[in-house]
Amino acid sequence: MSKGIKLLGHKELTKNKKLGVCNKPKYVYIPLISQNDTNITILVKKGDYVYKGSHIGKRKGNLRIPIISSVSGTVIDFVTKTYHNGDQVKCVQIENDFKEKYEDNRMTRKERVKLSKDEFINLLHDNAVIGMGGAGFPTYIKYNTNEKIKTLLVNAVECEPFITADYALIKEHPEELLESMDMIMEINHIENGIIAIKKTNTELIEILNNYIGTYLHIKIVEVPNLYPMGWERALIKEVLKEEYNKLPIEKGIVVNNISTIYAIYEALKFNRPLTERIVTFTGFGLNEPQNVLVKIGMEAKEVLSSLKIKEKDALFVAGGPMMGECIPDDNLVISSDLNCILILPFEKKALTLECLRCGKCVQVCPAKLSPVLIKDNIHNIERLKELEINRCIECGLCSYICPSKILVREFVRKAKENVRKEENNGK
Amino acid sequence: MENKRKIGPFLKDKNSTSKMMFHLFVALLPIILFSFYKNGYLPYQEGKATLIGLFYPLLFIFIPTITSFLTELLWMRFLLHKKGKNLKISLIHSFSIFPGLFLGLILPINTPISILIFGAIFATIIGKMIYGGFGNNIFNPALIGRLFIISTYALTITNNGGYLNPSELDAITTATPLSNVSLQEGIGTYKTLVSPYGNLWNFFFGTIPGAVGETSALFCLLGFIYLVFKKVIKPMIPITYIGTVFFITFLIGSFNDLGIWYPLFQILSGGLFFGACFMATDPVTSPTTPIGQALYGLFLGILTVIFRYLTPYPEGVLTSILTMNLFVYIIDRIGSKARFHKEKAILPFILAIFLIFYTGCSIGTSYQKETTTKDTNFEIVSKEGSGNTVTYVVTQKGYVGKIKAQIKIENGTVISYEVLEQNESFFGKVEDANYINRLLQNQLALKDVDTVSGATITSTALKKLFINTLEDYKENGGTLSGNIVVPPTTTTNFEILEKEKTEESTIYIVSQKGFSGKIKLQIVFQNDAITSIDVLEVKDSYFYKIEDNDYLNTLLFNQNTLEELDTITGATVSSKALKNALMETIKDYEEESYEE
Repeated sequence: MSKGIKLLGHKELTKNKKLGVCNKPKYVYIPLISQNDTNITILVKKGDYVYKGSHIGKRKGNLRIPIISSVSGTVIDFVTKTYHNGDQVKCVQIENDFKEKYEDNRMTRKERVKLSKDEFINLLHDNAVIGMGGAGFPTYIKYNTNEKIKTLLVNAVECEPFITADYALIKEHPEELLESMDMIMEINHIENGIIAIKKTNTELIEILNNYIGTYLHIKIVEVPNLYPMGWERALIKEVLKEEYNKLPIEKGIVVNNISTIYAIYEALKFNRPLTERIVTFTGFGLNEPQNVLVKIGMEAKEVLSSLKIKEKDALFVAGGPMMGECIPDDNLVISSDLNCILILPFEKKALTLECLRCGKCVQVCPAKLSPVLIKDNIHNIERLKELEINRCIECGLCSYICPSKILVREFVRKAKENVRKEENNGK
Repeated sequence: MENKRKIGPFLKDKNSTSKMMFHLFVALLPIILFSFYKNGYLPYQEGKATLIGLFYPLLFIFIPTITSFLTELLWMRFLLHKKGKNLKISLIHSFSIFPGLFLGLILPINTPISILIFGAIFATIIGKMIYGGFGNNIFNPALIGRLFIISTYALTITNNGGYLNPSELDAITTATPLSNVSLQEGIGTYKTLVSPYGNLWNFFFGTIPGAVGETSALFCLLGFIYLVFKKVIKPMIPITYIGTVFFITFLIGSFNDLGIWYPLFQILSGGLFFGACFMATDPVTSPTTPIGQALYGLFLGILTVIFRYLTPYPEGVLTSILTMNLFVYIIDRIGSKARFHKEKAILPFILAIFLIFYTGCSIGTSYQKETTTKDTNFEIVSKEGSGNTVTYVVTQKGYVGKIKAQIKIENGTVISYEVLEQNESFFGKVEDANYINRLLQNQLALKDVDTVSGATITSTALKKLFINTLEDYKENGGTLSGNIVVPPTTTTNFEILEKEKTEESTIYIVSQKGFSGKIKLQIVFQNDAITSIDVLEVKDSYFYKIEDNDYLNTLLFNQNTLEELDTITGATVSSKALKNALMETIKDYEEESYEE
């Protein structure tokens, strides 16, 4: 079984560049979506004045999480913009008054020692802290458990090529990150703290080692430079040698992305909501690739205009090169779970050949699936279930490796959809 | 900023199917060149082939290759044009040359070209195109073509010379090493299996008879390493396949006290390396899951052994691959389930391992049984060797009790058969029928000697005694190995009676034991060469055959190369005796002149 594949990182494009700042947009567009769920209750109407951190929407159901405004200003419209999964999503357009004003009754500072676990969970919920590695899972839910949490595993692997957002964050705030981990562990009575970093990122390991001395219960674990090492399941297996069925909490493990840890820091220390993040703007289609601290809800083109796109018909990708989606227009808004915008020179589509059944996709699949067989049986629901298709994490390695340049992952996605439809029909 | 929507991932591996196929071709090149060397260059160099013969192997490989290509071109042009695909691009990406190329490599060199072309067309159309072309076929196209040719034209090919190229045709009498195996009675020995073709290195390098491109294990191995290095093929299949064949034949060999050469002989024969490395790994028709590939290799090995030992078709490799092609779907199904639930693969693996041991043990012991059933009633009491003669005292269970006999074998021929002890009730009948003499006279075709009616058991026992003793002699006695001490060759059978030297000549009167009694000869040397041989006295019954064949003159003409001289069938003992007498006399003469 493959642990993953070593991919060409291209991280040198951005990792040693200065962090840019671009957080003063005239308008922000807050997408009313959470984890592809657009079933959001809207809490504002046109003309309302909103503060920074005000709840402007609310996701229903078990994974409830507020949608917050990232600036203070006036709601002027509801418009459709492109979300990073490529869909057109309804957004709240807010005109920024550049006052960065919080609600009056909001405490600007809270003593961390007094925080109980419940208060901690509420804090994360109210400040809309979500997984910033790409999945966008509400973070408070991970802590809202009766199980004993033994280990806090911080994912700083950033295994996807090109992306260096976490890299830049660690370089910028190493001390804050460690302090945040320390606070989380104290509040939740967690004994072990682990930061997982690629062993090739020696610079980061050095930086963290300079500060880690005072945090005896936190250690750094180096992981191999493979894709998709940052996948939760793979990471836990690599670092803790544990396997779980559905969620890591079964084994007393909570995994957080390192950017999320910083968001938690801001929430814990200053009661600040998640309104800004670092996004990597990179790719061979850009003249000046770099990491930029942006306001959530900004339009990507606003940032890109200063970074000089080389050619007109460049490819525009939201996310990394493996799991990212190509965005067909220029209306992409930056949401809190988007870590990278990739601009690639346009290439003619590679000619797709017949599948020669070489089995490379089977060999390479980190979820142990057999993509070639899934492709063969795309309409055979029974067989698809037997192939345990729902284990697919859409890492894209099957499409990457295919010598016939077949878009294998798309077949798997389609098959997943077929199974889901069938199951819904059954109900 | 206009963007067309493209689907990720936006990084792609540099490898491509076209590159993989190119690597495959590169891996085959040394094999093609070796085939040219072995089937074209060598015969040409030996003067056994014309200039056309020199390039014939290349032609033989090229013709089906181009036929495949043209067939596919026509097929696409006239049957697929409606799809609106670019003919040139589809043709390039269909890798149309391979069915023909492989077909050329897996057929006997003497396959008539017309049949070859026919086979290539068949392989391309029936083996590949009707399934929908590249990537969709269930069976390996080249193997389909071969199956078609072998099942329809086997006799034509055999009559045309079969597997032997012009240089092998003269040197080697039996076809391929494996068809030689099936001709053997019993399991065979190093002498009968390997020695006719040289030694195991010849098998490894590939200078043995076989299909055009599949004899050289060395070049297949190099190709295999290259392809694994270039990540083109599934290494699991050849490893498990060859490993399984090796292990089973090792079991079979060790049941029959054969050395490590036996499994090596088995894996180096019959194109196993070529089949395992190039045909079984054909990506389109082999399993995609790692566990499936391991199972595939194991079962291929088992099937190959079964085909080799239990069917009249000795070259089991290609047939097993074709058979296993059928089961790829099931194997992959097991393989894909076993990725998540390892226990699902346990049963097939247990089955495979059971079959490996079962085939190994049952085939191994089946040969053993043959020898043990022969032996249970047969016993060797004593065995003595002196000179060229081995004297056996043996017993065999008869009708009433044991029959004890003394059998003398000289140079592979039984010269006397005396019954020493017996209690048989009907022994008289056997004597009346002059049965023992009949056995002696027909010792080359003992199986055809009828038993004596009324004393069937006794006569059968006598016959068995004869057969078993001869067999023991062939196995051990011929070289007088085992626990028999060979006295230094005091030539008791040869005697110099008189020697007369004059200035011009030396005259020997010698005696040599023949078939029955002594043969007396007069041999005259003049100027260090034999000028005349005269038989003075002889009692051998078949001596007339010597005279008929003018054997004495043959001896005279070939006096410098006596050792290589054949004996006369029907009068083996007598002719051998003459030869020996002559050799001994020459030896004596030379020794003497040396002393002077």
